Amino acid sequence: MIQVSNLSFSYTNQPFISGMNFSVAPGEIFGFLGPSGAGKSTLQKILIGMLRSYQGSAMVNGIECRSRTKKFYEEIGVDFEFSTMYEKLTARENLLFFSSLYEKKPRPFRELLERVGLEGDADKRVADYSKGMKSRLNFIKALLHDPVLLCLDEPTSGLDPVGSRVMKDMILEEKAKGKTILLTTHNMQDAAELCDRVAFIVGGRICALDSPHSLILSRGAATVTYTWLENGEQSASCPLGRISSDERLKALIAGNRLQSIHSSEPTLDEIFVEITGRELEYKISDNLKPKFIRNVE
Amino acid sequence: MRLKGLFLSDMRFQAKYGFYFLYAFLTVIYIAVLFALPETWREKAAAIFIFSDPAAMGLFFMGAIVLLEKSQHTPCALAVSPVRAGEYLAAKVGSLTVISLAVAAVLALAAGVGNLHIVLPGTVLSSAVFSLLGMIAATKIASLNQFILWTIPIETACFVPAVLHLFGVTPAWFRHYPANVCMDMISGRIPSAAGILAAAAVTAVLLLYSRKCVLKMWDSMGGSKI
Repeated sequence: MIQVSNLSFSYTNQPFISGMNFSVAPGEIFGFLGPSGAGKSTLQKILIGMLRSYQGSAMVNGIECRSRTKKFYEEIGVDFEFSTMYEKLTARENLLFFSSLYEKKPRPFRELLERVGLEGDADKRVADYSKGMKSRLNFIKALLHDPVLLCLDEPTSGLDPVGSRVMKDMILEEKAKGKTILLTTHNMQDAAELCDRVAFIVGGRICALDSPHSLILSRGAATVTYTWLENGEQSASCPLGRISSDERLKALIAGNRLQSIHSSEPTLDEIFVEITGRELEYKISDNLKPKFIRNVE
Repeated sequence: MRLKGLFLSDMRFQAKYGFYFLYAFLTVIYIAVLFALPETWREKAAAIFIFSDPAAMGLFFMGAIVLLEKSQHTPCALAVSPVRAGEYLAAKVGSLTVISLAVAAVLALAAGVGNLHIVLPGTVLSSAVFSLLGMIAATKIASLNQFILWTIPIETACFVPAVLHLFGVTPAWFRHYPANVCMDMISGRIPSAAGILAAAAVTAVLLLYSRKCVLKMWDSMGGSKI
């Protein structure tokens, strides 16, 4: 579905994306992960034909993105991070308008609205929607024309846990229908749950590319941590692969004295930090903290 | 089908933002002013009213429409849809021309201007020219203040010669200036073939340039510096 070779792009004289190579198979959910300003959204904009002054090759659905025509968009659905709706029109009017732009017969609005819990608000003006409602409406707008490629930018941003769950279930349903999905996010939990493969992007380069599971396994074995009571609560850890040789654990199990036991693997966040040496979210630097706290107070 | 969808959506947008209500109200005011004027002044006053407002409304309202769309990020959605820049332009210009035409027809009838078969095509031509100029300006700006600054030279270049032309103050070599040709038609005078040719050529150039500006605006939604 997507084939990227030696892709480079620059907004100025400095390269912003350089030497990217990857491919995405049909029916795959592929995640672009990285901190803000890493080049994720720029890469997605190249793949949806919005930035065409790139070097190298970016083929999507058999078409080189720089020479795409408007027909290219019949098969692509884009969910931007922000609302792209006419605020004075109702949700139904917006869906009616956007579906009229495509040759394909649109998917039934009612079904989609029901699925994201907006059926009761379909005739409300989008201006009166909350951020989460706009996010859900924006998402179903991308599905209206039943595209083969879905490009989702932070689809769960601004959603409550229930909304986020519905959205993730819908993304997995689209995958089950054979759709290819590009997911741009800095939410590692979403990526680990949804993506078949993820690419860590930092400074316009891909630092790592693999399935979340393989990345986790490749970063060392999981450990087992257990606790027991002996002059207060005690705890110890041992590698999962050497559990049978931990005499203390065996004794605790034999004496039914374990208080708790659990295994733990490195998270995608930890792997990201380890690979790139950077935190995912912006954090307040230590020397700014006192000033920031004073201002807040 | 897609053009029809865009056209109807633009009309709905204009209705929701009160364009129709505003122009219904303004039409009543203009008619009241026309009837307050001496009868011999009415035809010229109607021509000035039609030229400076319903025909030129596209120049001002295109800025408001495109700025509102930009604030709601809808050009991003259109940029990644099958909509062509020409269709986007045609729908905007066409939907504003509908209002221009309706208001011009009422004012011309109220003022007793003859030759409606010339006045109305003149209104359509003027409306298209002003709307295209409005689109060119709107695609290049990010705030209403910038838009006002852009429109001042356009207004001066279009309105001053046209109003002077209406009162016969035009050098012979300037008769075929497109704004003068539009004013000729709006006041019910048959323009010369050379004038029509000049106006058509200018409209074609504006059409091509405004299409290029729309494409550039959509490209800039991708963040590229052009």
